[in-house]
Amino acid sequence: MSGPNEDNTQLSSHFLGDLLDSIIVDVASECHRIAKLGLDHNLEEEEKELRLSAQARARVADPSNSGETNNKYVVDIFGRTHPSVASEIFECMNCGKSIVAGRFAPHLENCMGKGRKARRKVTRSSTAAQNRYSRGSPVSTYSPYSNSTSTNRLSNGTPVGEEYSNGTYEEP
Amino acid sequence: MKHSVNRPPTPDGAEDQGKEPTLQEIINIKLIESGEKERLMELLRERLIECGWKDEMKALCRAYIKKKGRNNVTMDDLVHLITPKGRASIPDSIKTELLQRISSFLTSAAL
Repeated sequence: MSGPNEDNTQLSSHFLGDLLDSIIVDVASECHRIAKLGLDHNLEEEEKELRLSAQARARVADPSNSGETNNKYVVDIFGRTHPSVASEIFECMNCGKSIVAGRFAPHLENCMGKGRKARRKVTRSSTAAQNRYSRGSPVSTYSPYSNSTSTNRLSNGTPVGEEYSNGTYEEP
Repeated sequence: MKHSVNRPPTPDGAEDQGKEPTLQEIINIKLIESGEKERLMELLRERLIECGWKDEMKALCRAYIKKKGRNNVTMDDLVHLITPKGRASIPDSIKTELLQRISSFLTSAAL
């Protein structure tokens, strides 16, 4: 036997489900539209980026390419030449992907949303972090002139001077 | 005669006249007419955006679209993709808030 309260709960759940279904269809329709109209620049950009960084990696791995045949006939004081594409591979601190150093700048443009056609990967946590740092709450000790390592922070929250993501940080 | 469109046969008018609107239908009409359904939808939409639920669903869709290729995806695919996860991942606080509002509407409308 269901009392009036149980009926009430069941009906409420039914209507909540109804509302939720409508919202789900809305979200699906939005995503479908963006996909079909090709408005999601990140979708293709990542493929292009992957292709270009794979190319960069291939050039780096290619033993016949010592860098001398490239434009820069740069020789340093030890007589070594630099490869024209920086060969170090490390992890992007923004999105966590493995990036060839020579392709890091263009990658960051898209990754952080500053370049042309790049979409800002806005997530709740990143906008919250940016809002937090830009508003300068009275509790935080953020100060642009402070030198102490605990308050020196880049806008995306990575501490400066404490670690380098490519692991080559050396103690002085 | 071959029909160009497959459609179910038109319901018989006589059959319909005997049906009483169900309680659900009555309440649904009341919800819509009073504008409460619209308000509830907006509230739910806002809460789901705030908590990141919408972003999660969109990410699921994008991953699926990337995998299948953007020209091979139908609305139906996406709806079937998000519905189970969407219903399961709604935060309890939001569920409670909405259920309370609907419940109080029901008790006030039933009078």
